[in-house]
Amino acid sequence: MDKVTPESDDLLLRYIDGTLGLSERQTLEKDLEQNEHLRKRLDQLRSSHLLLRANRLEQPSKNFTQLVMSGLNHDPIRGASFPIRNSILLLAGVLLVAIIASVLVPAGVFDNISTTIDLNQVNLPKKYVEKTLPSISIDGKLMVNLIILINLVLGWLVLDRAILKPLFQRRVQAGR
Amino acid sequence: MTNDPDHLILDKILAGEQAAYAELVNKYKSYAYTIALRILQNRPDAEEAAQDAFIKAYNHLAGFNRDSKFSTWLYRIVFNTAISYKRKSRYQFQSLESTVVEYQQEGEGLLEKTDKKKYLNAAMARLNEADRTALTLFYLEEFSLEEIASITGMQANTAKVRIHRARQRLADELTNILNQEALTL
Repeated sequence: MDKVTPESDDLLLRYIDGTLGLSERQTLEKDLEQNEHLRKRLDQLRSSHLLLRANRLEQPSKNFTQLVMSGLNHDPIRGASFPIRNSILLLAGVLLVAIIASVLVPAGVFDNISTTIDLNQVNLPKKYVEKTLPSISIDGKLMVNLIILINLVLGWLVLDRAILKPLFQRRVQAGR
Repeated sequence: MTNDPDHLILDKILAGEQAAYAELVNKYKSYAYTIALRILQNRPDAEEAAQDAFIKAYNHLAGFNRDSKFSTWLYRIVFNTAISYKRKSRYQFQSLESTVVEYQQEGEGLLEKTDKKKYLNAAMARLNEADRTALTLFYLEEFSLEEIASITGMQANTAKVRIHRARQRLADELTNILNQEALTL
């Protein structure tokens, strides 16, 4: 091993960390005796290693803990309760939309709402359009039913993830 | 769930004993501050970021699921808070007095000869943020590679390679700084 390479650096770092196997260590020590570049590199790596170990921790100001404690809310559980309150409001909103829509659909409010989108009216370059494009009919009643379904799924997710799960977690923690 | 002795203190806090949190702050403040300082390279910002991280951790204590050690969870918050402070501070004026490394003195003989810590800080400042953080966490000697990876949001293998390269780079930077210093004598 004449030159210092990334591979030799790897060996040297493992040597410094004391994680080399016996045979690897003996081979490296022989190389170190014969190779001045390698010895120099070992010194460099070891110096920075020792310097880092000696200065691994910095000290914050003396009133650090006091400042943190004065910045705390009264109760961490109370701090975490705001998202649950917001989640309940969100769930109420979602359910309200679903209920209103469910009342309006049987009343026939959306029965006459329908439209057709004719894709041929879209101004596409003729070279890209070889065939006549289809028309898409949109039924208002179907759309509202889909919105109700999405709302119910969303409501279920909010109830499960944002309300029930944190609530049970709190109970488990309070019971410890 | 781990057998972390800190979890007993967490139980006390969640039962309403707020003062018990001071025990955790005292235990981890130096580590949290060191991580923040290595990322921010500025003492007042690091102090503020570390305090902010402790307050955030307290406010979310009820949601901590205890799958990891409290310290790993806390340092992840410190890491993320310091990174967000770093992003903000890029657009703000930085006091030269408060920065850890004072490059403006370079022409006058970068650092005092006897102060090894200043050499280290100068070399660290030449590394990128991710290398500095990985090295800091590695030399805190508190964490496994998996925990370092979890704190910094890397894969364990990536963290291993990064630490290895950062150690090489730091040695190179220290050598460069010492050579420059020798030339100015």
